[in-house]
Amino acid sequence: MSPNRREFLAVAGASVFAGYAGFAGATPAHRGPRKPSSVSVIKAKSYSDDLVSRILDGVKQCGLDVRGQRVLLKPNLVEFDPKTCINTDVSVVAASLEAFHSLGAAEVKIGEGPGHRRDTYSIAEMTRYRSEIPKFDALFTDLNRDDVSPIQGFADRGEIYLPNTALRADLIVSLAKMKTHHWAGATLSMKNFFGLVPGSVYGWPKNELHQIGIDESIVELNRIFHRTFAIVDGIVGMEGNGPIQGTPKQVGVLVMGSDLPAVDATCCRIMGIDPTRIEYLTMASERSLGAIEEAHIEQRGETIKSVRTPFELIAKFKELRQIS
Amino acid sequence: MKDPTAALRLRQTQNADGGWGYFPGKQSWLEPTFYAAIALHGEPAADHAWELLKSWQAADGGWRPSADVQVPSWGTSLCVTLAQSRGELGAPFQKGVQWLLSSKEAELALWKRLLFRTRLFGEPDRNLDLMGWPWKPGQVSWVEPNTHAIVALKQAAPKVSSPRLRERIRMGEAELLDVRCADGGWNYGSHRALQVDLVAFPETTGLALIGLQGCPDLEKSLALATRMAGETTSPLARAWLTIALRLHGEEVPPSTVEITSSPEIMIAALNIIAEEKPEFFRTGGTT
Repeated sequence: MSPNRREFLAVAGASVFAGYAGFAGATPAHRGPRKPSSVSVIKAKSYSDDLVSRILDGVKQCGLDVRGQRVLLKPNLVEFDPKTCINTDVSVVAASLEAFHSLGAAEVKIGEGPGHRRDTYSIAEMTRYRSEIPKFDALFTDLNRDDVSPIQGFADRGEIYLPNTALRADLIVSLAKMKTHHWAGATLSMKNFFGLVPGSVYGWPKNELHQIGIDESIVELNRIFHRTFAIVDGIVGMEGNGPIQGTPKQVGVLVMGSDLPAVDATCCRIMGIDPTRIEYLTMASERSLGAIEEAHIEQRGETIKSVRTPFELIAKFKELRQIS
Repeated sequence: MKDPTAALRLRQTQNADGGWGYFPGKQSWLEPTFYAAIALHGEPAADHAWELLKSWQAADGGWRPSADVQVPSWGTSLCVTLAQSRGELGAPFQKGVQWLLSSKEAELALWKRLLFRTRLFGEPDRNLDLMGWPWKPGQVSWVEPNTHAIVALKQAAPKVSSPRLRERIRMGEAELLDVRCADGGWNYGSHRALQVDLVAFPETTGLALIGLQGCPDLEKSLALATRMAGETTSPLARAWLTIALRLHGEEVPPSTVEITSSPEIMIAALNIIAEEKPEFFRTGGTT
């Protein structure tokens, strides 16, 4: 990215910040000096492990308190291909549902707006969400077709419409998949928020976000939705030509934390990717949305070194490879 | 499959403003309202729906997707089609057609085409000299909004004297053909991403074939659509494929799988259209 673009974005970001006067559920992030962010790396070698216990361990290590809160679980549900592993596994979603209920959340719902395929419930059926998550239809909101509200200021656009279910949640849990991404380098908990943008306004895919810039859009969505927690499904991730056409990669971890840039930076290190070369992570760090430097992240659970599993990268992203 | 109670359920879920939400009890949106109005064509409920939709047209002729969302969208194509089905060819229809004719997509920017011609970034995944329709102005085109605009304008062609209209239809059709996948079907946008072939999806394959009524060399695509229609579990895909096959004079095979249930009003309405009223999307041959 050229300095001119950076300068432009800085100006745009400032004007966006100044113009923000929107929905009560979305206040701009301004977190000031930070203490080290806790990120928990928990081993889970398969989806048949006791994932509820693993998630509870991670949540506890990160010090998250959800008592009385309305929690929205936001999985990565894109499209279905039986030959690979595009979506957050249903076991992780079901276990998260149970875990957050047991932690005393007032309400735990599931919401997603798939980016490609229009028949959301059909995808939910193929991915076994409807059959394996009890009362799925009652818990689920199709965020592509939810009622929406305008939020003032989004990158260089005057406003963006976002789903009320997401705006009204006290906590959004990004249940992301650990995947490479052929445009952004890696797609993890922050990029997962593309699914919060309604197709009913912007179409399938949410091409508006690509026009604005993928990196800028990721950061802006995370600025708006900042009451968040991340659980990244790295039990089986996707390497190579992700996020759709890559190949499964066994890693055997769940990565969790309240600081999404820190969670994603940790995932990158596990994947053998240098997070400081992922544009949206450096932008998030520069705008004080979270920490990406190792020194600013307090690693809990497993060490990165003990679970590090370098992912295959497509040719255009070979330079993202972390050397050490 | 014909559901004898579907129309009754549609009538029962109409909102007081005349529209339908994507789901019962939710705010009215253009898309489900359009499909429900087609499904209930000839009934007072459809008239009420059209009155609501007309109130959502902006001064420039574009339609917004709901009462509160001030973003012009692909829904304009749907309303132009609906206006014609009702025989209403007045100002809303005429302005809607003009809006579609002036709607542009992003990749036509000259600097981008020149940049790609240098091949510095490899081969583009689609022919950038073609122009279809995007979901909203300023984006790139995709199969679904392109198809809906082609259908609306093909139906409008005998009623609107405009050489530009015919040229836009031709370009839209050419773009659909340009992004056809190797297997004869359509993904939602391009047929390749970063030079890697993409798979065809059933719903967009059905949609593209509706847009390409009258075009030659569709045998492979129709054969794929026939197979997809029997195998898809998606009620949305099954409906679009049924409409496409019927419009092309092809037999619709029975489902060999269980179709997924859906709470979506738009899909319920589309099923009625597929079973009873596919002719609403009839455009005749290419112009």
